Amino acid sequence: MKHIVVDPINRIEGHLRIEIKVDEATGKVEDALSSGTAWRGIELIVKGRDPRDAWMFAQRICGVCTTVHALGCLRAVEDALGIEIPKNANYIRNIMAASQTVHDHTVHFYHLHALDWVSPVAALKADPAAAAAIQNTVLEKYSLNFTGPVGFDTSAYPKEFPKATTAYFKEIQNRISKVVESGQLGIFAGHYWEHPDYDVLPPEVHLMAVAHYLNMLDRQREIVIPHVIFGGKNPHPHYIVGGMPCSISMNDMNAPINTERLAVVDSSVNLSIDLTNNFYVPDVLAIGDLFVKAGFVDGGGLAGQRVLSFGDFPDERYTGIANGDYFKNLLIKSNGVVENFGQGVAKAVFHPLEGQDLSDPNVLAEGVEHSWYSYPEAGKDLHPWSGVTSPQYTGPKEGTKTNWKYLDEAGKYSWIKTPKWNGKMAEVGPLAKYIVVYTKIKQGIIQQPTWAEQMIVDQIEAVSKLLNLPPETWMPTTVGRTAVRGLDAQLNAFISKYFFDKLINSIKAGDTTVANSATWDPATWPKEAKGVGLHEAPRGGLSHWVTIKNGKIDNYQAVVPSTWNACPRDSNAGYGAYELSMIETKVKIADKPLEILRVLHSFDPCLACATHLYDSKGKELTVVRTDPYL
Amino acid sequence: MEKRDTLWQLFQKKNVSRRDFLKTCVALTSIMGLSTEFIPRVIEAAEKKPLLPVIWLHGHECTGCDETFIRSQTPLASDLVLNMIALEYMDVLAATGGDRLEHQLEETIKNYPGQYVLIFEGAVPIAENGIYCMVGGKPILETVKHVAKNAAAIIENGSCAAWGGIQAARPNPTKSVAVSEVVSGKPIIKVPGCPPIPEVLTGTIMHYVLFGQLPPVDNQGRPKQFFGNRIHDTCYRRPFFDSGMFVEKFDDIASKAGWCLYKVGCRGPEAYNSCGNMRWWNGMSYPIQSGAPCVACAANNFWDNDPFYERLPNIPVPNTIVNADKVGAILAGVTTAGVVAHGVASYVQHKLHEAKAEKSQDVTAEDKPEQDKDNE
Repeated sequence: MKHIVVDPINRIEGHLRIEIKVDEATGKVEDALSSGTAWRGIELIVKGRDPRDAWMFAQRICGVCTTVHALGCLRAVEDALGIEIPKNANYIRNIMAASQTVHDHTVHFYHLHALDWVSPVAALKADPAAAAAIQNTVLEKYSLNFTGPVGFDTSAYPKEFPKATTAYFKEIQNRISKVVESGQLGIFAGHYWEHPDYDVLPPEVHLMAVAHYLNMLDRQREIVIPHVIFGGKNPHPHYIVGGMPCSISMNDMNAPINTERLAVVDSSVNLSIDLTNNFYVPDVLAIGDLFVKAGFVDGGGLAGQRVLSFGDFPDERYTGIANGDYFKNLLIKSNGVVENFGQGVAKAVFHPLEGQDLSDPNVLAEGVEHSWYSYPEAGKDLHPWSGVTSPQYTGPKEGTKTNWKYLDEAGKYSWIKTPKWNGKMAEVGPLAKYIVVYTKIKQGIIQQPTWAEQMIVDQIEAVSKLLNLPPETWMPTTVGRTAVRGLDAQLNAFISKYFFDKLINSIKAGDTTVANSATWDPATWPKEAKGVGLHEAPRGGLSHWVTIKNGKIDNYQAVVPSTWNACPRDSNAGYGAYELSMIETKVKIADKPLEILRVLHSFDPCLACATHLYDSKGKELTVVRTDPYL
Repeated sequence: MEKRDTLWQLFQKKNVSRRDFLKTCVALTSIMGLSTEFIPRVIEAAEKKPLLPVIWLHGHECTGCDETFIRSQTPLASDLVLNMIALEYMDVLAATGGDRLEHQLEETIKNYPGQYVLIFEGAVPIAENGIYCMVGGKPILETVKHVAKNAAAIIENGSCAAWGGIQAARPNPTKSVAVSEVVSGKPIIKVPGCPPIPEVLTGTIMHYVLFGQLPPVDNQGRPKQFFGNRIHDTCYRRPFFDSGMFVEKFDDIASKAGWCLYKVGCRGPEAYNSCGNMRWWNGMSYPIQSGAPCVACAANNFWDNDPFYERLPNIPVPNTIVNADKVGAILAGVTTAGVVAHGVASYVQHKLHEAKAEKSQDVTAEDKPEQDKDNE
């Protein structure tokens, strides 16, 4: 048995450490440990501040999914204070959320995940003419030709398409070869390029994918332009409680939003559709197909057993979330939990999750059995509204407190808490969302699917046909997790277009309102209030929980996608999603755990959001002022 | 690893023409805010300076500064990473992880002693010997000191590295501090912003690449070429401020007309940054243009100057548009007073917050006619 430590895990946000025990003879992973190794304490910092400012603090939980926490926070505060946002603000926030998802998935696939599948070194062996031919085959075979719900003709033709010429691939290959020959490999240095898994793809596919890696590095910024127009910048665009700050006027030449500004957003949305249709979806499906054909259907872990999602994209405005109204007109009603999808959709079991479930302390709760915190009552999990955390760092099993050798899998070993649904673990993410919607429709729980829900089913069936495998076989795997993220990017590009169209029609009908400031003044608020904000973020189900007292934040908790997936084990609930996915994966060469990086990266780990957790009712720490004026 | 190319040699190797090389140099000169007379010096530097090795470390942060970096348009992040610098260590983009990545870090330090630039993103938590941010089984506090020892210069990338940032906001449970609090004896520059404007960051890196030294800094250690003005000085809504035309609440008529956001909490009058000059994403927009008041995200301790939607207490506000001469006089007065007063402005404001002074009283005080008279 070999004990392997991978720390830091590269190509992720934040600080993650992995320890695995591998049987060297069989390559079987016997045990796996996932640890979030940093803690920032933002929820403690938010305490006592103005709830109208809180989104700005919460947004800084993560700069990668750079707006999802703002949205989660705004929704929580608005839920607590009973604020209904105008319909234009809902459309604009939805466009921003959808473009965020397209962008995040694109950067994840090409820049944070691709190098687990493709290699610039292998690309050097490619024949550029054959690469051009393969590019054409890929476009023909793996493009899913969905058209979305809204016809549009503001683009004369799809301007973004991969170049399928010998000269283009020759040029790219020359450039890569200069980098490799220079010896200054920079970010490409030192990787397991000699690993046999890189032989799964022919050199021409490596060259195609590396060309697109470079191409997308330059183009990704244009996907998220709606944030810059509506929110003034990216990362970290601006919002306000009650709506959006970007007033709309067709009569004022200095207006934040007018026709010219909307046209900029439109171009960006059209570009997103072209990029996902012509690059992302064909690339991910072509690579996935080759890996599946080579027998890579592992790494599913928890996905086939239990997945959770909250649902998102309120089609129209709603009165609240905790009262259940939010769930009535969602474009994607993925709210719910599905168990046993791995046994086929007919045998899968669906459990609803909405309204009153959110306030039931038995449904959603967090535990700290293996986390560096202590609870007042040992072993009793707590609902986020009444969560208690007090940091209690205990150090590693071997080594010292500031120089670890091995962490203590039997004791506490992570700054991440363990969230649970009905006392059980669940995986979240685009794969979870797709599994829930597919199950709900196939089992007749959703009888009249929205266009977006129908598109999810159509996408899954198209890919199942391509791979010649049923959904329960290909979806809960490393390949499936990665492929579904590509499908989700395509879906979200069309969602941007859909809400852009709604926004235009609303303005056309004479409504330009973007903010509801009727309850802006704290004097109008109740003395005590609590709310929940839900968002189906690029990495999965996100929930923010706030309690407000006398106009100030009294308690704040965020239960985030990476907490669900990266959490430490629990003696009753078992392993978390990362840990279980590693245990399911075989490692060919113990010293070169490429498979472990690949399965972990398939979750798009983003640790900043998982490792800030703190509760305002926790033990008071020493207050240190860095303010030079005090 | 031994031989390092210059930018010009790299262009030659990649069959890029001399003409394109010169065009790149002209573009770089302009993005760094240098006048055309600097072009020959930029070209000379690009011909002779070898590629700069860079080590990029992460402390307590949200990775927003990496994200802003890859959004840079001039230069494009891809050109910078693949052509203009040798990014030898950065865990977010690196192909490999674990001990191989740690090995790469040690190799870079060994191969380029005293030659590499350390870009640090995030704050350094120092509570309990740094256990709140562990990387590779060690506190980042130890790693930053270790890497800084042989660095040629250090860039504090973003408000967290420059000032401690959000995790250092009250009550700062992890005792997070700026890099310069734990490292000394090295040339160090602050590039604050939450996150920094992409081109402010890449412009600062390019300055070092081309001139072999950090750009000139102001008295707070920030590059003057990017932090020389307040947002207020170059705000496109400034004429509305000077004319006393204000947004009173979000989405009102004045908001649609794009008037001044001062009264809904804009920090522009005391925020030093390039948002007004350069705007975000090559002039596409900035928060004020999109209707959101500036929160001064590049300022030290801005997180504790909340609430963000209260107006700044001590900025003299012009109150008339009737007389053009008077407006002109007020403008001159405000600008001078504003610049001189800046040093004390945040102090006063902070004290006022601290004392929980009634905002209505502040507003009344500053709106008094005597105040305007002073400025005239």
